[in-house]
Amino acid sequence: MVLTIAAGLTDDRALLDRIREGDTSGAAELFERYAPAILRFADRLLADRAVAEEVTQEVFLKLISRAHQYDGRAGVSSWLFAIAANACRDRRRRDRRAPVIPLDGLPDPPDRTEGAERGLLDRERKDAVRRALNALSEEQREALVLARYHGMPYSEVAQVLGISVGAVKTRIFRAVETLKSHFSEGERAWNAVN
Amino acid sequence: MECRELTARVVDRLLGQADEPSLLALAEHLAGCAACAGEAEGIERAWEGLGSDPDARLTGAFRARSLQLIEEEMLRQRIRTFRPRGPLRSLLRYAAAVVIAAGLGYLVRGVSPEAPAAIAPEAVSAFPPPAGPALPDLAASPRLSNVTFTPPDGQGRIGIAYDTTARQTVLGRPEDPAVARLLGYIVSHNAETAGEKSRAIELVSNHYRAADAAASPDIVRALTATLRDDPNPGVRRKAADALAGFRTTIEIRAAFLEALRKDRNPGVRLAAVEALAAAAREGPPDTETIESLREKAFDPRENGFVRAKAASALKAIDL
Repeated sequence: MVLTIAAGLTDDRALLDRIREGDTSGAAELFERYAPAILRFADRLLADRAVAEEVTQEVFLKLISRAHQYDGRAGVSSWLFAIAANACRDRRRRDRRAPVIPLDGLPDPPDRTEGAERGLLDRERKDAVRRALNALSEEQREALVLARYHGMPYSEVAQVLGISVGAVKTRIFRAVETLKSHFSEGERAWNAVN
Repeated sequence: MECRELTARVVDRLLGQADEPSLLALAEHLAGCAACAGEAEGIERAWEGLGSDPDARLTGAFRARSLQLIEEEMLRQRIRTFRPRGPLRSLLRYAAAVVIAAGLGYLVRGVSPEAPAAIAPEAVSAFPPPAGPALPDLAASPRLSNVTFTPPDGQGRIGIAYDTTARQTVLGRPEDPAVARLLGYIVSHNAETAGEKSRAIELVSNHYRAADAAASPDIVRALTATLRDDPNPGVRRKAADALAGFRTTIEIRAAFLEALRKDRNPGVRLAAVEALAAAAREGPPDTETIESLREKAFDPRENGFVRAKAASALKAIDL
């Protein structure tokens, strides 16, 4: 998924100005624009839809209380993702949840236009992706998810995570190495069973 | 290209972040290195395995709950502590001052029989003259830069420091007409930035709130002009909050009514509703205030918060 949100940089800042002026519509508009991406990001990092929803709400409440701290050096979307990445880290620390993937956790909302078989395959694919991402360290997962699913260039990932571009590349390359082993092991296991 | 660079090059390509020479070098290398070609296939399979990932769909319940939380948080950010000034409290204060003054007069007469029986009012200055340099001639619209303030000392005197040709510091009580004029000038004419203006308003507001003193007409004039005309909504909000802390006068009420009708910022209108409602609760209801609140409560184009606040204000006023 490539984010289409960077294009609206000026508008985002105008919305942030509205929040600073006490106008709720600015916050509501930013929520409509970014909540789906932030929710997906949190879900990928925390592997728990319910917790990801809580974190997403937390991100937008922080956006309101910290609107005056935004210094304009990064885009509003990058700033939101930075808040989200910190919120996810805080949540993991607070909950002391081991990186266990609750496969029996709350399912994503059902898509009623798809058939049952298609839905089952989708579910299996999602579970496989969750398992693959769970094989990564938290740092690798953050960097990979931002670049792979949110279409961010290395420089923006670096801004969001507060690290150098070199560090971002290292994390992503290592993540890919791990994933390569993970998927090839999965294939071997699948072939052995069949 | 070296074999050890393979992962980086392939990932750069998959992320669309490889430049043309890098892509060419990778293609050439893969064409001549079977091991790397196999590795690259593995990386691509793993990449594909991650699938596409559309944004999450928000459920109706989650969206509604989140927007509600956002509204509540926005409201929380706007809440300020309102401390109404009861007329009884002020009367008691004045009465206490009269008693103390009478007691002191009696003692002075007892100790020195030569003292005059009564002190001529013109001989007593209500305020000691401001200490420090002579106040600037404000009629000449001087530019006072780098304005800073110091909090009240034991005698309630604040410090106002500024640069003209040299650094000057004036020390005096804000109720002193000369000091009040200087403060009013800083708020309404001198401040160059919204931050400077806000700090001046805050100082004025905090002082009068803490001293529980009647605000100087110069200060009220400066603040009502700021509420009416300042281009920055944050500054207008600060002026509204400061005025809300003063005893409501006709001039202040008129400024709030105008803000409620005309201000483009809902936060300022909300502050006006709160101040008007508080004033209406303290004294006999004013017809224009009641009508304005009613109009806002029923105006479908008005911001939801302002409407709700106006409606609850009307309920709270004893009509």
